[in-house]
Amino acid sequence: MNQNKMLGMILAGGRGSRLHDLTNKVAKPAVSYGGKYRIIDFPLSNCANSGIDVVGVLTQYESVELNSYAASGGRWGLDTRDSGVFILTPREKADQGLDVYRGTADAISQNIDFIDKYDPEYLLVLSGDHIYKMNYDKMLSYHREKGADATIAVREVPWKEAPRFGIMNTDADLNIVEFEEKPKEPKSNLASMGIYIFTWSVLREKLVRDMADPNSSHDFGNDIIPAFLAENRKLVAWKFKGYWKDVGTIDSLWEANMDLLDEKNELNLADTSWKIYTEDASALPAYVGANASVEAAYITQGSEIDGEVKRSVLFTDSVVAEGAKVIDSVLMPGAKVLDGAVVTRALVANNVVVGKNAVVGSADSEEILLVANNVKGDE
Amino acid sequence: MAKALGIITTSGNRIHVEGLQAHRPVSSFSFVGRYRVIDFPVSNLSNSDIERIMVYVDADQNPRSLAEHLGTGRHYNINSKRGKLQLVFCGAAAVNQIYKTDIAGFLENFDLIERAAQEYVVIAPSTMVYAQDYGKLLDSHIASGADVTLLYHRVSNAKEAFLNCDTLKLNRQRGVEAITRNLGNVKDKNIFAESYVMKKELFITLIKEAKKISSTYTLAEIVSDKCKELDVRAAAHEGYFAAITDLKSYYDANLDLTDLEVAKDLFRPSWPIYTKTTDACPTKVSEKGSIKNSLVSNGCQIDGTVENCVVGRSCTIKAGAVVKNCVVLAYTTIGKDVHVEGQVVDKWVTIKNTKEIVADPSKPGYINRDDTL
Repeated sequence: MNQNKMLGMILAGGRGSRLHDLTNKVAKPAVSYGGKYRIIDFPLSNCANSGIDVVGVLTQYESVELNSYAASGGRWGLDTRDSGVFILTPREKADQGLDVYRGTADAISQNIDFIDKYDPEYLLVLSGDHIYKMNYDKMLSYHREKGADATIAVREVPWKEAPRFGIMNTDADLNIVEFEEKPKEPKSNLASMGIYIFTWSVLREKLVRDMADPNSSHDFGNDIIPAFLAENRKLVAWKFKGYWKDVGTIDSLWEANMDLLDEKNELNLADTSWKIYTEDASALPAYVGANASVEAAYITQGSEIDGEVKRSVLFTDSVVAEGAKVIDSVLMPGAKVLDGAVVTRALVANNVVVGKNAVVGSADSEEILLVANNVKGDE
Repeated sequence: MAKALGIITTSGNRIHVEGLQAHRPVSSFSFVGRYRVIDFPVSNLSNSDIERIMVYVDADQNPRSLAEHLGTGRHYNINSKRGKLQLVFCGAAAVNQIYKTDIAGFLENFDLIERAAQEYVVIAPSTMVYAQDYGKLLDSHIASGADVTLLYHRVSNAKEAFLNCDTLKLNRQRGVEAITRNLGNVKDKNIFAESYVMKKELFITLIKEAKKISSTYTLAEIVSDKCKELDVRAAAHEGYFAAITDLKSYYDANLDLTDLEVAKDLFRPSWPIYTKTTDACPTKVSEKGSIKNSLVSNGCQIDGTVENCVVGRSCTIKAGAVVKNCVVLAYTTIGKDVHVEGQVVDKWVTIKNTKEIVADPSKPGYINRDDTL
């Protein structure tokens, strides 16, 4: 199979600073989610399941862990003769010297040579930090049926929340007539999901011009989409229905994990027709001890439970020791809650140890507590 | 360590595990939920930097699942360019089970062994579960100047367990005097772990000599014969050890590992056991679900009670169900209010209409693959 109908580009350069200490050393797309996954597994698995063979991952902020993680394309089956996951970090160029990515559009512009090598007809541009399952091939069929230059995935949000999003104003046929970033008085409740399909030849020309424009912020939302509209290019909205979550804050990351306990959760990770692939841990199945109690929990291989777990999500290699209680909480990979400790409404970060008899979080706190450092307990 | 060729043998004609073996060879049996028995010898060799591995596969024993599971060997951390995990088929032409010996398999693929460039062979069984550093074993074999080194595990329950296994009769210097069958008359025995280290040249000589004596001869028999003229020594294995010889030993070995201390003795952070991932999602335990003293693989939905069990991937335990002292293999469903105790439940089973299936753990039962009860 020759490349390429559509090439995927994942924007994974952001820090996700509202995740605070969780993203001090790792970029947001590499943050763990759902027991065994990382956020970037979702767009990458979606690409693999949608038949997209070549995916570029654009990284910038604290990218060591993310780069080494995403470079193993085999995890998503993207390591065949004609497929691959390519890490694209800012690089020194023969004619320009070294430059960081100045915006989302600039990240693509600086890699035009990479894209040209595969000569795709369409370009899929994604964000690397959302949790959802989507068949991009369906979106491409829509893009072609509509004869669009660009198709933007949108989802309906409650009207009162619309002012928080980038809103697409459309006509009755879902042609986009206007884009408004966080409008005070929204005219539509169709929020952009940051997922774009472009006809590559059209976008390419636009990017070349945008790069040279000193007044541009080189951003898809601020510059490229408005320029398409100004030129009367055909922009259409594609409505997505299903689970979608931006896990930009500790609260939303916690919530997205808790959603997995819901029997009616639309994300349905157990659906074998659209699996999310991830790194494989060499670990025993989840162990639950003789005196343990597990009630409403999401547990994974490598987790060890001797204490009490209630309405919580436990990641690989997490430990709940005898007499410990973990309630309404998330234990990230390698987090340990020692004997007698109590963790309530908290998100315990990777490899953090909550010491003996320590108490963290509280049942009545409004916000979820991020436990990013070891908590000292009784010696 | 490119100097050794790894060989993993079949179960030969000695082991018959009721039920399970009708569907796959012992090497392909599911073990502690997410693993298969073959993962142990392959991981042991791979972790010992032995990257040229021949896995003998009995062509008559439904090798499909084994072939699928081993694949290219990449998941065993074997460099697919420099190393090779090779499936070597044998036994298809055997007109009688008595001909199904390891020696017959080696002879069928004699050219492969002769052509291998390695100076030594390390032979490991596919029916036993243990962690072993073969690099260390090979080093000590070379340093000792012995002709053959055999691995054994000292047990004190040989009267009631390991009944179908061989034992090593040792002299005071850990020299092997003979390899004999465990007759179950003495409790303390050196169970032969069926691992051998020797020069490839000697291995080839032994294969040829065995064939001359009898077409039903095994490697253990010829090595036992040679104990007088060759320097055959024994090395003790330390750590968790299990031999799968029948349904009971399979059942017991799985449930042994629900003791986390025992499991940690087999699964050490410095000695990973690799397997093939199925990308199953984590396991969901609902408010009605309860798990005690068990190992539960990923992809399960637990709404009932699970106690003293090993549960395979993607199983469903419905509300009101009670599953106790069981080894449940992947993709099985235990229906509402069903009570199952003391069983090995094979893959793709649905128990919903038969409400009670109870056996004593001393005599576990077996529920056939794909059945609805």
